[in-house]
Amino acid sequence: MPDTTRRTPSTEPAAGARAADASPAPRRAMRLGVAGPVGTGKSTLIASLCRELAAELSMAVVTNDIYTDEDARLLRAAGVLPVERIHAVETGACPHTAIRDDVTPNLIAVEDLEAEFAPLDLVVVESGGDNLTATFSPALADAQIFCLDVAGGGDVARKGGPGIERADLLVVNKTDLAPHVGVDAAQMVADATRARDGLPVLALSQHDRASLGALAGWVRQVLADHRSGVHVPRDPGPMAPHTHADGTTHAHGGAGDVHEHA
Amino acid sequence: MTSGLGSLLLADARLPVGGHTYSAGLEPALIAGMPAELIPAYMTARLRTVGLVEAAASVLAHRAVGGDGGAPVDPRALEAVHEELLARSPSDPLREVSGMLGRGLVRLAARLRPDHPAVAALRALGRAPQRPVALGVVAAVIGAGEAETARVSLYDDAQTVASAALKLAPVDPVDAAGWVLSTGDVMTSVVAEALAVRDAADLPAPTAPQIEGWSLEHRNKTRRIFIA
Ligand SMILES: Nc1nc2c(ncn2[C@@H]2O[C@H](COP(=O)(O)OP(=O)(O)OP(=O)(O)O)[C@@H](O)[C@H]2O)c(=O)[nH]1
Ligand SMILES: [Mg+2]
Ligand SMILES: [Zn+2]
Ligand SMILES: [Zn+2]
Ligand SMILES: [Zn+2]
Repeated sequence: MPDTTRRTPSTEPAAGARAADASPAPRRAMRLGVAGPVGTGKSTLIASLCRELAAELSMAVVTNDIYTDEDARLLRAAGVLPVERIHAVETGACPHTAIRDDVTPNLIAVEDLEAEFAPLDLVVVESGGDNLTATFSPALADAQIFCLDVAGGGDVARKGGPGIERADLLVVNKTDLAPHVGVDAAQMVADATRARDGLPVLALSQHDRASLGALAGWVRQVLADHRSGVHVPRDPGPMAPHTHADGTTHAHGGAGDVHEHA
Repeated sequence: MTSGLGSLLLADARLPVGGHTYSAGLEPALIAGMPAELIPAYMTARLRTVGLVEAAASVLAHRAVGGDGGAPVDPRALEAVHEELLARSPSDPLREVSGMLGRGLVRLAARLRPDHPAVAALRALGRAPQRPVALGVVAAVIGAGEAETARVSLYDDAQTVASAALKLAPVDPVDAAGWVLSTGDVMTSVVAEALAVRDAADLPAPTAPQIEGWSLEHRNKTRRIFIA
């Protein structure tokens, strides 16, 4: 286990910790973001990660929900982690804001978990399913997975966008459904791989044990790189800016921006 | 000395302190059946009650850490304001959300002015001080005056209602801006009242029991989009 010296959560400048992360042996848990459109299997993926890794790593999860704590409930019901290690953050109907423009509520939740269950190895943050362009700020996530599914259509991967092109890992999920939705999963992975310039793409299915093992293996590797200082949090990049009626400005963009705001 | 930026920053919804998760009680009110036509009246009712208490607490906190005259930081005076404010906040969920918003402000101050004695006094209140106290301290630290602090506190409350209204009810955004603008006279008089408070023990205590009651119900709702 690396140095796990705890810092007082409320006094801890989170983004200020970035500089420290560049040096070997970061002192805190790795924060792994999971983003992607609604229903692509993010919560299920996180439950699988807990199942695969909780025996060897001390883990906690933060969910972001548009409506109260549905995802947290789902994960608690899955019985993959002690329920008190799963915190829900409500995002005020603005899931992208909570992972990008103002990550404060999420950082508070992460810090609470880190303080409560010190030392943690891994905190997974699930973004409230939003759109094809919402990605985590490096102020919140040390590494991020962007999750698509075959049911969203074979072209999605080709359309690109910051998450698809530059997340640390792109998951093409629910490959078991590909024949039923008329999608060529291998083609989708190939398209995504081309769009990502060498960054990894993983074809995943709950019905494919080997793929779940590969997912856990990827997380182990990133965690090792994070601890040794090799992994540097990377920003998948900005979205095209637009203004909301409430006066807040967000950035989105790309052909795939299909988010809704209440 | 001041560029005016301090109060502009604090009044701006883009300031990263977690405010987008809070509806200033509007969602609980609408769920409880308050008609959307009453939103402007709701906004004003808040300003006259919780708005006054919070603005006055912000002003006292501002003074406790030096105020407009730059006096030395008085950690005990700050603690007294915080305690008096807690004594006027009977709803546990509202104390909790205020603490969460306060924590966002602490984070901001700790990043921007880590060595400031006022920030140390704020941190000494615990990890999640109530938002009005944190607001007063942060305002003082970033160079906003006490009158601006009171106005920001009230303006932020009104704008929180207005922007939440856009997500919760069929409201034209221009109308919502108009509601905020039309609170001008109320705001001016509440600012004066807040500034007239000299001592933590004299912190005003008007309450909005209905808003408190709704906040308790909201905590148990399973389909809500704001925490309070
Ligand atoms: N066939 C199949 N279904 C899956 C797989 N993974 C998840 N699902 C199903 O997809 C649906 C959505 O899964 P979730 O994990 O809730 O998706 P999510 O991305 O967390 O959804 P939101 O949080 O609402 O955006 C559920 O019915 C899952 O059972 C998979 O590998 N194969
Ligand atoms: Mg989910
Ligand atoms: Zn938004
Ligand atoms: Zn948007
Ligand atoms: Zn969006």
